[in-house]
Amino acid sequence: MTGKYFGNPIKRLEDKQLLTGNAKYIDDIEVPGQLHAAFLRSDFAHARILKIDVSEALKRPGVVAVYTAEDFGDFWKPGPLQVPPPTAIPGSKFNARTLVPIAKDKIRYSGEVLAVVIAESRYIAEDAFDDIIVDVESLPAVVDLEKAWEDSSVLVHDDLPSNMAALVTQEVGNYEEAKKKADVVVARRMLIEHVAGAAMENRGFLASWDDQNQVMTIWANTQSPLTVRGSVSRALGLAESQVHVITPAIGGGFGPKVMTSLTDDVLLPWISKQLKRPIKWVEDRRENFLATTSERDQVHHCEIALKKDGTILGFKDVFYHNTGAYDSYGMTVPLNTQTHIISNYRVPNFYTQIRMVFTNQMVVTPVRGAGRSEGVFAMERMLDFAAKEMGLSPIEIRRKNLLRADELPLATGITGQDFVKNTLDSGDYLGNFEKCLQAIEYDKFIKETQPKAQKEGKRLGIGVVAFTEGTAVGPYEGCKVTVSTSGKVTMTTGYSSQGQAHYTVFAQIIADQLNVKVEDVKVITGDTNHFAWGAGTFASRGATLVGTAALLASQKVRAKIFSTASKALGVPEDQVELGEGSVSIKGKPDSAIPLGTLAAMANPMRGVIEPGVEPGLEATAYYGPPHGSTGCGAMGVILSIDEETCKPVLEKMVIVDDCGTMINPLIVDGQLQGGISMGIGNTLYERLVYDENGQLLTASFMDYLMPLATDMPKKLEIIHNHAESSLKLNPLGIKGVGEAGAIPPGPAIVQAIEDAFADKGVEILETNLSPSSIYGYLKKVEHK
Amino acid sequence: MKVEGEHLFKAPREVVYEMFNDPDALGAAVPGMQKMIKLDESHYEAVLGIRVGPVSANFSGNLSLTDEVPPESVTLVIEGKGGAGFVKGVGYVKFEDLGDETTLLKYTGEANIGGTLASVGQRMIDSVAKSMFKTVFEKLDKILEERWQKN
Repeated sequence: MTGKYFGNPIKRLEDKQLLTGNAKYIDDIEVPGQLHAAFLRSDFAHARILKIDVSEALKRPGVVAVYTAEDFGDFWKPGPLQVPPPTAIPGSKFNARTLVPIAKDKIRYSGEVLAVVIAESRYIAEDAFDDIIVDVESLPAVVDLEKAWEDSSVLVHDDLPSNMAALVTQEVGNYEEAKKKADVVVARRMLIEHVAGAAMENRGFLASWDDQNQVMTIWANTQSPLTVRGSVSRALGLAESQVHVITPAIGGGFGPKVMTSLTDDVLLPWISKQLKRPIKWVEDRRENFLATTSERDQVHHCEIALKKDGTILGFKDVFYHNTGAYDSYGMTVPLNTQTHIISNYRVPNFYTQIRMVFTNQMVVTPVRGAGRSEGVFAMERMLDFAAKEMGLSPIEIRRKNLLRADELPLATGITGQDFVKNTLDSGDYLGNFEKCLQAIEYDKFIKETQPKAQKEGKRLGIGVVAFTEGTAVGPYEGCKVTVSTSGKVTMTTGYSSQGQAHYTVFAQIIADQLNVKVEDVKVITGDTNHFAWGAGTFASRGATLVGTAALLASQKVRAKIFSTASKALGVPEDQVELGEGSVSIKGKPDSAIPLGTLAAMANPMRGVIEPGVEPGLEATAYYGPPHGSTGCGAMGVILSIDEETCKPVLEKMVIVDDCGTMINPLIVDGQLQGGISMGIGNTLYERLVYDENGQLLTASFMDYLMPLATDMPKKLEIIHNHAESSLKLNPLGIKGVGEAGAIPPGPAIVQAIEDAFADKGVEILETNLSPSSIYGYLKKVEHK
Repeated sequence: MKVEGEHLFKAPREVVYEMFNDPDALGAAVPGMQKMIKLDESHYEAVLGIRVGPVSANFSGNLSLTDEVPPESVTLVIEGKGGAGFVKGVGYVKFEDLGDETTLLKYTGEANIGGTLASVGQRMIDSVAKSMFKTVFEKLDKILEERWQKN
């Protein structure tokens, strides 16, 4: 399906404002009379609070108020569960210990807030930290996931018998029986390292209580403004109509900005109401590293059972998942991991167990990839290890087990993050893989390129993997489309934007339906006074859910245009022609009525309207898919690596992706490129390191390395391979693509590094590889 | 963080040991030391300014000397905190009499560092610690030179 705009690579409509510095971000917003908040954070990861004395801080000129947990009285309480527990999975155990807005009695991670200082400026507020005396009794920190699970471990939450946050076991078939029949069983323990979302813009929050009108206005760079509105109104006993949440321009989300019930969104509205002053807080980078949620960090114990010819008989994966000090965001990440382990291959018997564990670390919630990359990494690596063990090529073993197009849709039997039984709905997995092999010239590389380089003393390696991306989960999103009397069109949605080009892609869908210029469609996102229904921006679901709602709403408006025009022009609807920005009688261009005039006609000022007719050229629609849609693809990478420096250079990368219909191929490619950059960063650069005392040692960009533009592959080829089945999934045939690029670089790059050192028999069991860790692997095999 | 090292003092063991019990000498030798008060024979209170890369802050805390075996060995226990975090450490110091009026000081120790100092400064801590030890020993050498040669 291609229209005048839909399906075409038009440039992003929002870019002019962003690139010319005219976008307004949270820190640009100034409200008259605003005060500034700063959060005093704990240096200790685990400690009992004995006393916090703020009396000296209150004496500092410019300090307006200082609050500790006690000052909030009954208002202080653990926050809500933002995602419900997985009761849909039989036998699952989940211990809810939700985030507290400010530490009381006990500190559970380094960076947890101990006091809130409100002052005339941020400088004064931070200076006042020096006046606050914090007396604590430090406790041993819980850091190691596997040790934390043991009964003998120190407890993060004293009222629980252990550090178990959740235990979820799912099985299809019978793994142990399958294992008995297997010719080969391979077992490994693998680490998935901890990484940050690291959005360019940190978090920020501005609460402004209007005492006269009894309205709380909030500016926040959140991925879920409606969740913020709901929780603030509940906490303060206000009607939702009294809380207005506005998301300004946002410099990247990547997942962590979905989290609410944090210090800022819980306490600042309360303080603003108490002091009757606007309160602003903007996070600094160190705070972001310490206390904004992050992800990955799992330990996998995998076992794969196969027949002699490489056919998978069964897979077992018992994995530890770090939830951090609290588990307010439920089990989205590890459930995504469970579904994605077996999301590409025929695995008749699968046993998987999540051991979600509390630690003295910041809370873990989704970061782009969100559990999917972990599951894909575990399976892809195990296939590589099995292939080596059996003398098969990594290609052969994958070809043998990849699901074919005619095997889909396939119900895997594993319940996912949306509490719906996972369905691998569409695509051509094997076809994607074959296309990728061709594009990366696999055979030529093995036969010619690699041996030739070897002769010249150069090490080259190749890796090819398959991946899926569970996207577009429910429950629903919606939007309202309105034609104004100027003829311009407005679309409003509760969905918020962090840079994903929503202002362009939704406009493309609507412009085609209403036959207006795409620039004439104004998209308003994330303002709760404009549109107040929806769940939030996550799980690569915007294009599918909001996009489909935009189609449905604009179809309704289109129908209304025809019925209104039919009356205005005095002809049957089939005689009405919708031209660009106007309606007319077919073949009579003179009869044209501009769309704006028609909109005015649809809102008569006198007379009567027919029963059942709603005024205006306006309609609202919602869309909720029966289950998520599964993007899929393959990635190939060729890299060179110097044996002495161990620095890999990505020479060529191919990604084959099936995200269904593309609203805008330019934007899809941008999403894939951005995701790939993140995947490369996760594999070769980024890592959050905690020491044994729970101290984060990488709380600045000096120590937490981000990938640069120069770290992208020298050649990157993007191939879209959209299967027929993908295009029938929903009215527009759209699957998500926001996380695809971030998922496969890990296993592809690691496979290629192993291939480059194939003669040495290097085996890599983790996701994060600095040159020094690659060097360590080399030394390990040399010393064998 | 673990520390380990040694330094050769050109003075007899008793003299070197005595210097380690003298807050004036120690206070003068440690760079950034703003205040060092002897509370009793083995306890000191100190305020120290530390600069590690982008982190610079004052730390106040206590230094205790335990397990003293004059003039052979002593254990130092340090606990300090400030705006940029906290430090808790134990150092084991041995004084070896080499017989030719020189003394070899050997130390090992472990420090637990938290807060900004750890999260932003950790990359530089090792080298800052090394350079601090170097400065301390250089200053102590000078103090020793004055005291020992004057005698």
